[in-house]
Amino acid sequence: MQLFIGGTCAGKRGVVRQRFACAGWHSAYAGQALEAWPSTAAGSRCLVLEGWERWIGERLAAEPDDDRLRQAMARELDALRAWEAEQGGQAVLIVVEMGRAVVPLGRENRRLRDLNGWLALDAAARCERVWYVWNGLVKGLSR
Amino acid sequence: MIAFISGGARSGKSTHAEALARRWQAERGGARYYLATARSGSDGEWQARIGRHRQARGEGWITLEEPVDLVAALGRVAPGSTLLLDCLTLWASQLLYASEYAGELDEARGIAMLERLLAEARRRDVALVIVSNDVNEGMPPEDAEVWRYLAFLQRAHRLVAQEADEVIQVMAGLPQVWKRRGEERS
Repeated sequence: MQLFIGGTCAGKRGVVRQRFACAGWHSAYAGQALEAWPSTAAGSRCLVLEGWERWIGERLAAEPDDDRLRQAMARELDALRAWEAEQGGQAVLIVVEMGRAVVPLGRENRRLRDLNGWLALDAAARCERVWYVWNGLVKGLSR
Repeated sequence: MIAFISGGARSGKSTHAEALARRWQAERGGARYYLATARSGSDGEWQARIGRHRQARGEGWITLEEPVDLVAALGRVAPGSTLLLDCLTLWASQLLYASEYAGELDEARGIAMLERLLAEARRRDVALVIVSNDVNEGMPPEDAEVWRYLAFLQRAHRLVAQEADEVIQVMAGLPQVWKRRGEERS
C-alpha cells in the first residue's frame, strides 16, 4: 500500500495517474461509497482510492464518537491490506493535507480535520511508501 | 534560469529569494530588478509591509510595480539581468479580481500569461526568481470563489514548479531543495 499526501490542488492526482497508469479508480468525488471498493478492485490489480475526507465527512453525523469513527476507517485500511495480500494487489491512497492552518470555527470541521489527520497517520503506519506532493512535485518521506 | 521559491507566511522565502537573485546577478552580471506585484498606494498596513520588505532588501535593486501584466513588466527589464518577482499569490488575486480588467482575464489567460513570462525570460536571458506562498494545506475551502482562487493559484504553482530549474520550499528560514538544474530529488 502507498500513500500520497498533499494540500488541496497540489497535483496528487496527476502524480498518481502518471505512476499508476493502469489503476482502477475508486473515488468519493464520483459518488462511490468507500465500502464499495471491492467491486472496483475486481477489475484491477492496482486500486486508487481518493476522497477520504468526503468518506469521513459522510460518517460524522452517524458516528458522534471520534475514536470509534477512527477505528472504523482503520478497519477499511486493514481490509485493503488483506485484499493486497490475498490478491497480490496494490492499493494507492490519496489523502489531502488539511491540518496546516488555524483551527476551524465549526465543530464538524474540527472533527473532520482531526479524523483526516488520524486517517493519514493510520494509513502511513500501514503503507510501505509515503509520498508528499507539493506543487506538482513529489518527494518520498522517510520514517 | 528560473527558480520557484515558496513556503508559508514569514517562512523566510523572500530573504532566500533575494539572496539567490544576488548570487545569480553576481555570477552573470547585468542589473538586478525587483518586481513587486503589490500596489503601493494602498492602506497603512500595506505601506508598512512594503517598507519592511524594501528595507530588508537593501541597495542595488531597480524596483518595478505591476499588479497584473507580468509580461509587460518583463519588457521593462534589460536582457541579461536578474528579476525577482514577489509574489504570485497577490498577482493571482489581482488577475482574477482587479476591477480594471473586469471580464477580460480568466484562469486560462492567466496561465497563458505565466507561460509567456517564462518563455520570454528564457529567450531574453533574464534570470527569473519567482516567490509565492503556500496556502493550500489547511481545510479545503467551502466558498466557491475561494476554491476558484486556490485552484488557479495552485495551477500557477504547478506550472512554475514544472518549468523552473530550481524549486525550493522554505521552512523556518531553511531551504528544502525539491529540484535543482532539472534534477528532481525524491
